[in-house]
Amino acid sequence: MKFIYSILVLTGTSLLFGCSKDPNDPGLEYAPQMAHAIAFEPFSQVTDTNSEFYNTINVNSGGQNLRLPASGTIARKHYSGMAKGELAKDIYQYNIPADSLDYAAKVLINPIPLSPGVVEEGKVLYGRYCQACHGEGGLGDGKVADQYKGVANLVAKSKTVTEGHIFHVITYGVRRMWPHGSQVNSDERWKIVHYVKSLGNTPQ
Amino acid sequence: MNQRLTSQIVRFSFSFLFCLGLLTPRFSHADSTAVAAAGAPAPAVAAAGGGDAVGGEAVFKANCKQCHAINDVVVGPALKDAHKRWPSKEKMAGFIKYPQKVIDGGNAYAKGLYDKYKQYMPNHDFLTDGDIDNVIAYIVKESENPTVAKEETKVGPSSPEKGSDEGSGLLAPVIAILLVTLSVVIVLLLVVINLVSKILGQKREDLNESDIDQLEGDINWSILFNHPLFKGVVAFVFVVMIGKVVFDKFYSIGIQQGYAPDQPIAFSHKLHAGMYEIDCNYCHTGVNKGKSATIPAANVCMNCHNVIKTESPQIKKIWNAVENNQPIKWVRIHNLPDLAYFNHAQHVKVGGIECEKCHGPIKEMEVVQQHSPLTMGWCINCHRETVVKTEGNAYYDKMVEIHQANHGTKKLKVEDIGGLECSKCHY
Repeated sequence: MKFIYSILVLTGTSLLFGCSKDPNDPGLEYAPQMAHAIAFEPFSQVTDTNSEFYNTINVNSGGQNLRLPASGTIARKHYSGMAKGELAKDIYQYNIPADSLDYAAKVLINPIPLSPGVVEEGKVLYGRYCQACHGEGGLGDGKVADQYKGVANLVAKSKTVTEGHIFHVITYGVRRMWPHGSQVNSDERWKIVHYVKSLGNTPQ
Repeated sequence: MNQRLTSQIVRFSFSFLFCLGLLTPRFSHADSTAVAAAGAPAPAVAAAGGGDAVGGEAVFKANCKQCHAINDVVVGPALKDAHKRWPSKEKMAGFIKYPQKVIDGGNAYAKGLYDKYKQYMPNHDFLTDGDIDNVIAYIVKESENPTVAKEETKVGPSSPEKGSDEGSGLLAPVIAILLVTLSVVIVLLLVVINLVSKILGQKREDLNESDIDQLEGDINWSILFNHPLFKGVVAFVFVVMIGKVVFDKFYSIGIQQGYAPDQPIAFSHKLHAGMYEIDCNYCHTGVNKGKSATIPAANVCMNCHNVIKTESPQIKKIWNAVENNQPIKWVRIHNLPDLAYFNHAQHVKVGGIECEKCHGPIKEMEVVQQHSPLTMGWCINCHRETVVKTEGNAYYDKMVEIHQANHGTKKLKVEDIGGLECSKCHY
């Protein structure tokens, strides 16, 4: 009898303490009616269409809430045909096609006035979006560059190209570099341009 | 076995190549110094002699590395043994300076290069003759350097992940082996004890009285077991333990701390953010701009993986998603209930909080797990402790003034600007 008791106690304690949590198990949800959004959330992950908390409008094939702009939506402005000064005012829209690097290099001017503060902002943005490949000093010696190969040396390059060229390259990429326009908006890109230009000016 | 065989072959072939390199007459330093000496502009470099390749490395890194590697085709051809493909060093130097002129001039080899790579290499007339000599010396040195070649093949993009896989995979069998050896040792010990007591029992006549007492003496366990103090202690410990387990289980309702789900693609933050130091913002672009830090779209992955590790089955999943125009269904880890509002931009951009403060050592996580409990107590605690960064932000000037008038030198904390108001987060 005592033996059976001790066996029971042993299995009981090992059941209580022995099991570790399954990493795939999010655990018990408390008050799910308060936890799930009624509004359409961008990252909702309820996939069961019969669930009380299913709140996805199936407008795209991925079953997400992301939507394309309404059909017929027109971009704000076209650069082509604008005077230089006019062009400088609107920095948020960029309609020069990807294959027109030479044109962009010729016509675009940086609409953000150069100041030490802007260069500093550009440096922060450069650290976020460029440094992994182009390296801290712009020498093309970032950690990823060893794997990616063929990363430009910005110190040398920025001396020979225009600001418009740099802007266009960030937006659409060039040669091995792929477009980064979806990650940095044009405002930020112009700030990065200021910083990259400043790299070429610092004496080596 | 197969792997061992290949590594043997690789080792053998490297040593063979190395010996071959030693024996064959070389197009190397002696040659290049001679040419450099002949060219008047760079006598200093010629005098330096052995420093050639070292200087060349710097020139190579600054001017060539963007498009060339020694062992890999990048934008242009791999430069291993490039000097052997040119009839003379002068011709090679001439090509480096004015590639387009040489190609259009009808040089068959240069024309072949152009046909293969479909673009002119830019002119490098800004390099001095000395620089070019150095670069060629560097290429010669690297081409003949078997250890570098070996390293290059080793440091393929696959190596880091492979290494870490091995690390985590090794642990389980090691623990299993340890457990098995431990149990074997225990069994052996029991056998030994049994044997010893048997032998002692047989040799009873040799023992004196106290030994026999010890051998036969039965401890009366029931006295101990029936003692009320013992019973009380056992019962107390048992109740406390059960109580703790019950409390923990109830407390973890609605808290997902430690949740580390398997993702559709085995993405490693340890590799990307840790080893390659890619900034969090590079992929999570929304973190400074909006409520959600955002999960990157496949085009961001492809910025690097159009070149790196394209053959990996994990990367092929991304290609699949891109080609079928289907999103990658990452499993969301941090599920803050809708009853509480949280905004990333407010904390990261305005508050200047590091990602790691809430998300933990993300740069060391192979699989990301929820580091913080995301409970209200946890939020509130931080709001009580955190000092608002008011310097250089005119928005706060008036508030700081009023705060100091009321509280003297006490620092302005988040709780002082409404960080504990219910409606800040619940509405």
